[in-house]
This record gives sequence, C-alpha cells and structure tokens, in this order.
Amino acid sequence: MSGIKTEKKMSSRDNILSRVKTNKPEVIELPKIDLNVFDDSRNVLDEFIKKVETAGGNVFEATSNENVVSQVKVMFPDSKVNFSTLKSTESFNTVSFDAIKRPHDLENLDILILEGSFGVAENGAIWLNDAQMPMRILPFIAKHLVLVLKKGNIVTFMHQAYRKLSTEDTDFGVFISGPSKTADIEQSLVIGAHGALSLTVFLK
Amino acid sequence: MKVGLFIPCYINQLYPQVGKATLELLEKLNVEVVYPSGQTCCGQPMANSGYEYESVGASNNFVENFKEFDYIVMPSGSCAYHVKKHFDVIPQTDDVIKVRENVYELCDFILNVLKVKNVGASFPYKVGIHQSCHGLRGLRLGSCSEMVTEEYSYIGELLNEVSGTEIIELTRKDECCGFGGTFAVTEEAISVKMGKDIIQDHLDNGAEVITATDTSCLMHLEGLVTRNKQPLKILHIAEILNSVS
Amino acid sequence: MLVEPKENKMSHSKAASLFNKDEKKVNWHDKALWFVRHKRDIAAHTVKGWEELRNLGQGIKAHTLSELDTYLIQFEENVLNNGVQVHWAKDGEEHNKIVGSILKEHNAKKVVKSKSMLTEECHLNPFMEAEGIEIIDTDLGERIVQLAKEPPSHIVLPAIHKTKEEVDELFQEHLGTKPSGGDPQYLTGEARKHLREKFIEADAAITGVNFAIADTGGIVVCTNEGNADMGTHLAPVHIACMGIEKLIPQQEHLGVFLRLLARSATGQHITTYSSHFKKPREGSKMHIVIVDNGRTEQLGRPDFRASLHCIRCGACMNTCPIYRRSGGHSYDATIPGPIGAILSPGKDLKKHSSLPFASTLCGSCTDVCPVKIDIHSQLYKWRQIITKETPQPFVKKISMKMMGSIFSKPKQFEKVGKIARWSLRNLPKGMINSKPNVWGKERDLPIGPKESFDEWYKNRKKDE
Repeated sequence: MSGIKTEKKMSSRDNILSRVKTNKPEVIELPKIDLNVFDDSRNVLDEFIKKVETAGGNVFEATSNENVVSQVKVMFPDSKVNFSTLKSTESFNTVSFDAIKRPHDLENLDILILEGSFGVAENGAIWLNDAQMPMRILPFIAKHLVLVLKKGNIVTFMHQAYRKLSTEDTDFGVFISGPSKTADIEQSLVIGAHGALSLTVFLK
Repeated sequence: MKVGLFIPCYINQLYPQVGKATLELLEKLNVEVVYPSGQTCCGQPMANSGYEYESVGASNNFVENFKEFDYIVMPSGSCAYHVKKHFDVIPQTDDVIKVRENVYELCDFILNVLKVKNVGASFPYKVGIHQSCHGLRGLRLGSCSEMVTEEYSYIGELLNEVSGTEIIELTRKDECCGFGGTFAVTEEAISVKMGKDIIQDHLDNGAEVITATDTSCLMHLEGLVTRNKQPLKILHIAEILNSVS
Repeated sequence: MLVEPKENKMSHSKAASLFNKDEKKVNWHDKALWFVRHKRDIAAHTVKGWEELRNLGQGIKAHTLSELDTYLIQFEENVLNNGVQVHWAKDGEEHNKIVGSILKEHNAKKVVKSKSMLTEECHLNPFMEAEGIEIIDTDLGERIVQLAKEPPSHIVLPAIHKTKEEVDELFQEHLGTKPSGGDPQYLTGEARKHLREKFIEADAAITGVNFAIADTGGIVVCTNEGNADMGTHLAPVHIACMGIEKLIPQQEHLGVFLRLLARSATGQHITTYSSHFKKPREGSKMHIVIVDNGRTEQLGRPDFRASLHCIRCGACMNTCPIYRRSGGHSYDATIPGPIGAILSPGKDLKKHSSLPFASTLCGSCTDVCPVKIDIHSQLYKWRQIITKETPQPFVKKISMKMMGSIFSKPKQFEKVGKIARWSLRNLPKGMINSKPNVWGKERDLPIGPKESFDEWYKNRKKDE
C-alpha cells in the first residue's frame, strides 16, 4: 500500500553523532598555550644528551657521515647486514633496496644508520619521517639503530617540535627515544623488547 | 571577632580530651570562644556513605547553631572540608553561605587568622605527622606530594615551634591511613592493612608519637596500636599544642 | 555474538579481603606500584610549569568534548582524504563484527594486536577465537596475561600482579623456555623471538589509538616495546580501534599530551616510540573503527562527563592505596582502579556498585591525574546514586536513617552518646569485639569516657 512510511534505520555514525550533539555540554573555550611558563633556561644540547642517555641510548660526536660509519664499524665489528641512508656512505651497505621485495626481508638487519630530522631536548626524542627511509619498518626491525643529528637541529620542548612539524606533511613519522624496552616482568627494566636492542646517536 | 567552637561528634563522645585541649588552647591565645551546646554532627558520616539526604537534618542543625559567628573553628580537617564542599545538599540561604565560608580547621585558624606561629607549647618527643587526607588535599592545609608546588604545612609549621619536639620524616609523606568512614568496616581488610603500613612507617623512622588534625584517622591508628601493643602514643595536634612542660 | 568472560560475582570488598590473605604478596604488589608513582613524581618535578600543563590538558579535553561532534566529522573527513577507511560502532558487539568483517575481507587468519583497552572492553579476543582467528597480544605484559588466560590487572602494566617465577613457568609451558628462575632478560629475549615470528606471519595488525587528531586525520600510538610498529609496518592491513573521546583538535595539542602521558604513566619523559600514522604505506590498507559503547551516555552526565578526559596513563592506579593493596582483578572491570570506579558504574550500575565505595576519598588520584579529572568528587557522587538506585543492605539503610535522625536532634544525640560511652566502658571486651563488630576484628575501640565534651563544658560553666 502506498503512503506507508518505512523508517530507515539510523546508521551507527548518525546515531553516535546525534547522541553527541544532544549530550555535549555548552561550548567551553579552547585554552591558550603560553610557552613562557615552561621556559627553564637549561642548555638544550646538554639536556638532550642527558635525556638520550637516561632513555638508554648512547651519544657520540662525529665530524662527518664517513666518520659516523667508521665509528660504527668499530662499535659493531661483527655486524653482517648493514644499511645506511647517509650521504656518501653507500660502501657501508650490504643490502640493496632494489632486492628487497617486502619489509619482512629485512628480518636480519643488524645495523641501520638514519639521519634524524630533529631532536627534542626535554626527552631525548628524535623525529624520523618515512620520507627519510626506504621502508617504515627499518628503524624497528633493525637490531641496532644509529641516528645522526645536526647539533643545531635540537628544539627544547615538544611544543616547538610540533611547530616544526606543522609545515611538514608526513604520511608516517615517529619520535624515537632510546632503544626498545619493557619492564613487564616484575618491573625489571630489560633493554631490547621488539624494536632495536640499542640506540646510538651521533651529533654532527 | 565572634568565634564558635565545633566539636566533631566522635570527639564529643569518645575523645573529649581533644575538645578540651582545643578550647583551652584557643582561650590561651586570647580567643573568646563560644561552644553552642545544640550542636551534633556535620553530617559527613551519612553523606560519605552515599546517604547525603540523611545528612540534611545534621547540616541544618549545624548552620542553625553556628550562623551567628564570624569564625567557626574545629579540631578537624574533614568536618571543615565537608561543610565547605558538601553543604550544597541544603538550600543555599545567606546563613548557609556565610557558615560555609567561615569554617576553619584549628591549625589553619591559629596560623592564618590569629597569625600566631608559636603557641608557647612544650613537648619533648619525636613526633610523626600523619597528614589527614581531607584536610590536606581537600582544604589544602599543606602541599601534597602529588603536586609540583611550593612545600608548606600548617600543622608542620605550628609543630615546628613547639619546644623540644623533633618532627621525624616519613618514607611515604602523605599516604592515607585507611579509615575512610564506613570504609573502615566495609573494606576492613584493606583499611587495617593501610593503617598497619602507616604505623610501621612511623615506627621505622623513629616516631614516639603520631599526631594529626583529625581524630578519625587517629582513632583508627590508635585502635591498631593498642591491639598490637606497639610503642606509640597517639595524640591530636590540639593536645600537643596545648602541652606545657 | 558478544562473548563475555565468566562473570565474577564478588564485590570489591570480598575480592580485596581474599587478596589480603597473602600479606607478603600485598606488600610486594604495593611496593611495585608505589615505585612507579615515585618515578612519576620525579619526572613531574623536572617539568617547569607541570601544573599549568595539567590545566591545559584538562582545558583541551573539556573543550573537545563540548565540540565533539564537529571534531568527529572533521576527523572523519581528513581520515578519508588520507585514503584510510572509517567505521562507526555504537557498541562492543558492533565493533567486533566490523573488525571481523575487515579481517574476513582480507582473508586474515593470523592477527597481532598491540595494547588496546578498548578491544578489552569489547571482548574482541574471545570473539575472534570463536571465529577461528588467531589473535596474539604483542605487548609483553598483555602476552603474559593472554597465556595465563587472565584479564590485564592494570591498564599500562597488565601483568604487574605476576611474579617473575610465575612468568617463568608460563613461558616454560607455552614457549618451551628453559627454567631460569624468572630471569627477566632471558624471558624477554625468548618472548622477542616468539613474537618476532608472529609479526612476520601476521595477516593483519590491530592497534589502539592514544590520540586521534581532528585537523590532520592522523592517529598517534605510543609504545616502549615497538610492538605496534612491528605489527603495522609488516602486515598488509592495519586496524586502529578508538573510543570517541580519544580526539584532540589540533596536532599542536600533542605537545601538551605527549609531555604529560609517559611521565604520568611510568616516569619516563616520553615512551620509546610515539608513532604518528596518517596514510597507509603503499600497497597496504588502513582502517579506523570509532566506538561509542556508552561514551555518548557518559557525555550526557554533567557530573561524570570529565571522566572522558582520561588519557589512560594509569597514574591513579599507581597512587591509589586501595588499588595497590587489592590488585586490579578485585575490581572486576575492564578498567580498574579509581578511573575504573567512575567509568564502570555508568555502564552497569548494579555490577559495579561496590567500586565507588572501594575508596577512602583521599583525593590522591585527582592530584596525580594529568588531565585533572575530579575522580574523588565523582566517587562521592556515584555513591549518592548507587544507594538510591541499587538494592542496599537493610541494616545499612536503617542505620543511616537512624544516624540522620539522631544527628539532627541534640537531645537524642546526647542520650545515644551516653549509652555508647557506657557500653564501651563497661561491657566485657569479648562482647565488644565479637563477630558482628567488624571494627573489633583487628582494632581496639576507644575506652568510653565518663563525660562527653558537652557534659564537661556544661559542668565547667556551672563552676564558673
């Protein structure tokens, strides 16, 4: 019979949005962030180094990319599968990305050297974005991670970090601070969970 | 200044010596204190147990007895906190608003209204301060270890001036004693464990006496100390501040 | 079919007293969690303006909730523009069905999952197992409780209740490890090998969402182990599950929340990995499932709305003297501890009616909360609702009514007080401390004084 209206079942999306609209409170203004309250005048470089070490990483100085590689070779003399994205260090690489079909093929990567975008002093974190690496899995699947950073590329707090990132359009990026770790067994800290077993930072 | 004295129900009935010490101390400090004898209870026991509506009678009785005073002083942080925070259960008349604004825990009153630090007391013992929670985090009678702020403590400041007293430092500065009102019986196992741990902290750090702003905490701790025959004396801060050699 | 685990009908108080039968274990559990609280204190004290950060955290979340529908729509639009699919689930059952159908679409039989309390809440694992899909929790603590067939007891430290010897035995049984006396280094190393295989073989990776950013359509996942990344960058499908309250307006707000989160949770200045996902890697697919499951209802409760600010740091659990001495399992709720006690009654008032009472209202939780949720005030408010809307023991109701009456009548108060004091003074201890007197089990009662303060005062006045 015509004239009977069949009620269309509301989609969950519409159901949720309409419930939010009904139940949300009166508008509360977004607070303003005044960065001056956080300013603690600590030396940015010293603080960064301290925090990387607190997180279980090691920090060294380097004069050039080649210098990084030669130091790494001394630190990890037995490494078999190596890869570096640093300029002028192709001789270090035992892996060619033309041969890599899937990320899983990198299972045995011993050393990975990447250039970090910038560091954050308050927590020793280094930003990497996927434009800087051939595959996203690299910094996680590598046994030993080496990150290279220009000393001038260290910001104080996360607020400044996100200011930098506001001009970047990254498909995937990650702040890495230290080697992977867990304390899930009776709160005993163990370095080396699923990600890298060690983190070495070179400051240029 | 017209000062009314409120004596918490359990102090009135079970620890009158705390009330006496409070009154004598205030009189020593030249405060003319009136104790309205129609008072009963602030209503906290019912309200904290979820029966706020059963506390209305007590709350109204409190306001009725204290509406004429400029300051309402009490040897209890939790009662003062309850009046300030939970008296919204009764209609907010001018009298109610006035009373809620003018309740003071004893140390707060002495330090911040009378502006007195040294009350002339003498108490040559090692004393551990139990920072009663409602006074501490409710009324902010002191800084708490959770927050990143300047350190201060009203009870500490007054005790510091008492002749001969050594304030011992605890391992856990402001953990709850486990009384919590009816919690003490409804979650008896945890309540007892919390109390025992507090007492042990005091003993481990050399306390001879435990003091606090609230007799509710002290009643619970004393119950354990007595049962377990532990070498500690439990005294309300009013009793210490009222002590002379 | 929503497969719920067997219901534990014990109140918190009963479960807590059982937990307390082993005092050594209580001391161990209490010290372990207090240590985490202590590390949090140290980290917070290194941050100039920490309390202002908390204010900002609270302010940003409060604002977000007040415009949540706008932000959800903005988020969805940006997510879709990023080439990521969006799904909406009104409850746990629908969430499970959606995840199940995505997996089916991709012929996924082996799934790895990084920590997501939301998927716990929806009981995703039993649903998957019933569908014949292998789902492996890859966070070490979660893997431990998964092998032990237990729910997590803490939202950040899921296996905090397990001794290293217990973990050793579990791993011997399930991973074939050698007996090691609970050597954490060895056991973690073995777990790494075992889970590495799972990552390599996985057909799909499920993650939670720490923060969802409305203005970019991106999500952030924070881990120390790197398990979320090992899963998502290898598997061909990434399914991210989030509650509607995970939204924040702008990427710059991560500056506030990432400064607060790890410090509050474990005392670290930031987790090892803070992974920002926006677009799937080439050749792979990404899905986001947005879930309500009672959140819109909580949003409509002005007294309890702020509980939705929670960023799941667990600081309230670490500081709570009751949680530390009773363990997460005694709460019988997906999220235990103080925050659990204000979230859970909203979902099932009767089942969780004992939770708001598992507290002394000490307020420590409120003061450690990085987003300043007024937890202890909400506990008080839930109590008022519970006594009215759930069946209460007759004795309790009557005694409260009597107290209410006695305390409003000065003369009655005096009379009852006199009787109480007399009884305490004169009745034999054996009688006072008999079984019905729960207080008397482990504590003495005060000696009943002859005079109340009131009587003493009146006598003093007479003498003047």
